[in-house]
Amino acid sequence: MASLGKNEDVLCTSDGIESVYNKLVAQEEEINNGLETLLSRQCHLEAKLRGITKVLPNLQIVHSDAQQLAEMITFTSTLAENVSSKVRQLDIARSRVSECQQRVHDLLDLQLCSDGVQTALRNEDFEKAAAHVHRFLSMDQHLLKQTADDVAEDCTSVTNSFSLLHEAATQLGAVVTQKFDEAVHADDLASVERFFKIFPLLGMQDEGLVRFSSYLCSKLKDTALKNLRLALETNTSDKRANVIYADTITLLFEGIARVIEIHQPLIETYYGPGRLLTVASYLQRECDRQSKRILAEFSKCRHLEKIVQQVNEYMRTNNVYSKPTDKLDPKELDLLLGELTIMHSRAELYVRFIRRRVMNDLEIGVPSGDTRTALVSELEAMLNGSELCHRMQELLSSYLLLERYFMEESVKKAVVMDSVEEGSHTSSMVDDVFFIVRKCIRRAGTSSSLDGVCAVINNACALLETDFCEVLRRQLRQGYPSGYLDLTQAYSVLHTSIQQGRLQASDSEQARLMFLTYLNNADASTEYTDTLRRSLMDEVPSVLTTMSENERVKLESCLSGLGSVAASLKAVIDYGMEQLRVIVIKPRVNPWVDTFLSVSHQLSEEDFANYEANEPFVQNLIMNLDGLLGLFRGSLTTSNYDTLVSILTAEVTAHLEKVVIKSTFNRLGGLVFDKEVRALVSYLTSTTSWSIRDKFARLTQMATVLNLERVTEISDYWGSNSGPLTWRLTPADIRQVMTLRTDFRSDDIKRLKL
Amino acid sequence: MEDYKFLFKVVLVGNAGVGKTCLVRRFTQGLFPPGQGATIGVDFMIKTVEIDNEKIKLQIWDTAGQERFRSITQSYYRSAHALILVYDISCQPTFDCLPDWLREIEEYASSKVLRVLVGNKIDREDREIPAHVGEDFAQRHSMYYLETSAKEAENVERLFMEIAAELMEQARSKELPRYDSNSPTINGRTTVIGDGGCCSRMS
Repeated sequence: MASLGKNEDVLCTSDGIESVYNKLVAQEEEINNGLETLLSRQCHLEAKLRGITKVLPNLQIVHSDAQQLAEMITFTSTLAENVSSKVRQLDIARSRVSECQQRVHDLLDLQLCSDGVQTALRNEDFEKAAAHVHRFLSMDQHLLKQTADDVAEDCTSVTNSFSLLHEAATQLGAVVTQKFDEAVHADDLASVERFFKIFPLLGMQDEGLVRFSSYLCSKLKDTALKNLRLALETNTSDKRANVIYADTITLLFEGIARVIEIHQPLIETYYGPGRLLTVASYLQRECDRQSKRILAEFSKCRHLEKIVQQVNEYMRTNNVYSKPTDKLDPKELDLLLGELTIMHSRAELYVRFIRRRVMNDLEIGVPSGDTRTALVSELEAMLNGSELCHRMQELLSSYLLLERYFMEESVKKAVVMDSVEEGSHTSSMVDDVFFIVRKCIRRAGTSSSLDGVCAVINNACALLETDFCEVLRRQLRQGYPSGYLDLTQAYSVLHTSIQQGRLQASDSEQARLMFLTYLNNADASTEYTDTLRRSLMDEVPSVLTTMSENERVKLESCLSGLGSVAASLKAVIDYGMEQLRVIVIKPRVNPWVDTFLSVSHQLSEEDFANYEANEPFVQNLIMNLDGLLGLFRGSLTTSNYDTLVSILTAEVTAHLEKVVIKSTFNRLGGLVFDKEVRALVSYLTSTTSWSIRDKFARLTQMATVLNLERVTEISDYWGSNSGPLTWRLTPADIRQVMTLRTDFRSDDIKRLKL
Repeated sequence: MEDYKFLFKVVLVGNAGVGKTCLVRRFTQGLFPPGQGATIGVDFMIKTVEIDNEKIKLQIWDTAGQERFRSITQSYYRSAHALILVYDISCQPTFDCLPDWLREIEEYASSKVLRVLVGNKIDREDREIPAHVGEDFAQRHSMYYLETSAKEAENVERLFMEIAAELMEQARSKELPRYDSNSPTINGRTTVIGDGGCCSRMS
């Protein structure tokens, strides 16, 4: 209605009235519909109401039932609580009874023990006496005394028993200790073990372990001394004489390992696990003493100190180039070095064994936590701080010094004794040097020390990169004698050689051969270096078991030093090749290529036919090049030869390009040039396994341009029409090359859009 | 393989117990392990740092100070790009040994190696070597100089970062072969280091 009120003016027109009427009709209908829907639901709602009225009484029943149930539950719970409190009381009573029983037992046993221990002691039945004492020690003495006091108001008998048993325990302890010592003295293993087992029963675990350990130590000492005596008496002709000290120290380590192997179960059974560390510490001290003795004898008999001093002095003075007279032959060190590495490796193995055994024992016997961590670090400190370890580190240090000397001197020797065998590309020193280096690194591996191997690898890298590369470079620096291809000079050489008996010629022949051999040496060395690096990466981890990831990276990093050796060798090769380029290739190739200028490329049809028949320029050039390469083909390694061809090709193409720019062509001349380039490419491709087409890219494209029919034909090859062809000529280059064609008009060339 | 543009080898030397391992641990792991046992042989750590948006991989070789490891540790001098010579500012003998160490460096290391003198343990109250004495020594021997405390993490980060920055600078000016991820073996050892004649204090 609001709308009606607001729009009173609407009612002024009949249309307005009608529309309002229509609206009202529509509203009425809507309301009617609504009312009908409501009515239709009435029936449904009534049915629902009836249902609810019917169920209502049931609810009453449910409510009362629920109340009943709740009461029942409360009752039950009270009951249960009553019962359980009684059970608890019972349990307390029961445990008191059992405690009481235990105490009665204890009291009874106390009497029994105090009687028994005396009899047993009288009968020297120490096990029984110890068992009594052990039983007594397991009692709570304070509580027992109290009980006796409470019950009988008199604890004299109990106190008597106590003092008696205490006395017996002390007495037994003393007796057992004495008997143990006697057994040790009499070397009666059975008795030693018998009394060893009694100590823990008397609560004297530490005492027992210490005494037993020192017994084991004395046994070790005896054997070690005997073995050392035998070693010293060994005849020098004995086949183990060279490693007799390594053998002796190995026997010591094996002896200790056996002692642990045999006695660990005994200790574990009677003293419980977690006790091995104490014993091992004692044994280690004996091991330190004995190994020191062996190493001292070793050092004395093998003159280790003197040798080390001598080598040290030599190395120091060697740096200022004054040579002492009494130089050691590296060969003499060979056996000593071997023995040193065996010793170090055995010690490493031994330490690993002890560590593993004690660790296992601690893992079983000591719950993880601070105590175990402390014991583990005690173990590490014991092993790392042991004199054995220190001495082995010193030994390794001497070994590394001597190994460096051996490697350096052997390499020097190999260089001095260098010889070239006929038919071989390289000289003897390459094989020798790499044999020595590999041998030394391998030997370092047998020391079982990663630090040792890494140090030898580092030293080898230093030796190869500085000394060895310098040897190669020094030879190459002497240069490659040239001139043999120069005809006049060749004649004069022939002349003088006739006069002087071939001396001069063979000398320069020799020098040439040496130059090429050393170039080959460098190439072969590069290959050997790569092989060495790869093989060591597999070999070293297989020799040194249990390498951590960090250790692997460490080794890799040291081996990467061989990568820089290879880079230095490459620089040596480059140096030699540059010499060949300047001395041999450039002076010869340039005049040969220059003859291009003397051949006209302005050809008539007749000239063209003639020219095609014998191709004077390119066939001559190929012949000359082949003659030049032929001199090297047999004397260079494949890789060096390929490098040489590549240098030659670069030289030829660069110079030919210069010469072409100075020539002029007509259409047929361009065709001939194209053929010439093709012939040259095909010849050079056939001489090498490397691709040289790339070096000819510019020349080939120049030929294409010179071979065009019309200036505009270039658009067939340029821009979007270039296809797979990558242009190495710039637009300016192309225009310049086009001007070489005498039949192309410069206006056309200028107009060209590139 | 991770990518990095430069790889430098840094070797720490100096008497036993001056704190070489602690310096390395502090820098690589951010730890100061108390009760550190003596290093055996040579320890090896790697840390990649970033300078001017360039990744630099530092290979740090932590050597044992004791005499009996000398023949192992000496073998690492030659390929080092930087040598850090460490002494303990509260222990005169470790300073007195410096000339011996320099002799060793002279004998085995590349003449162009970047040399840095470090006085460690400045957290200690009982200083024996005044800073200017260390600095004088460094100046006389054309070395960089820095005082550090591995315990308080003082100047440790700076020490290694400045070495990395300096080596990168030298490498760039010499245009040494790059260590790219495909061929980490190329080594520009001898061409890497500049004349190192600068004896100014690191700043």
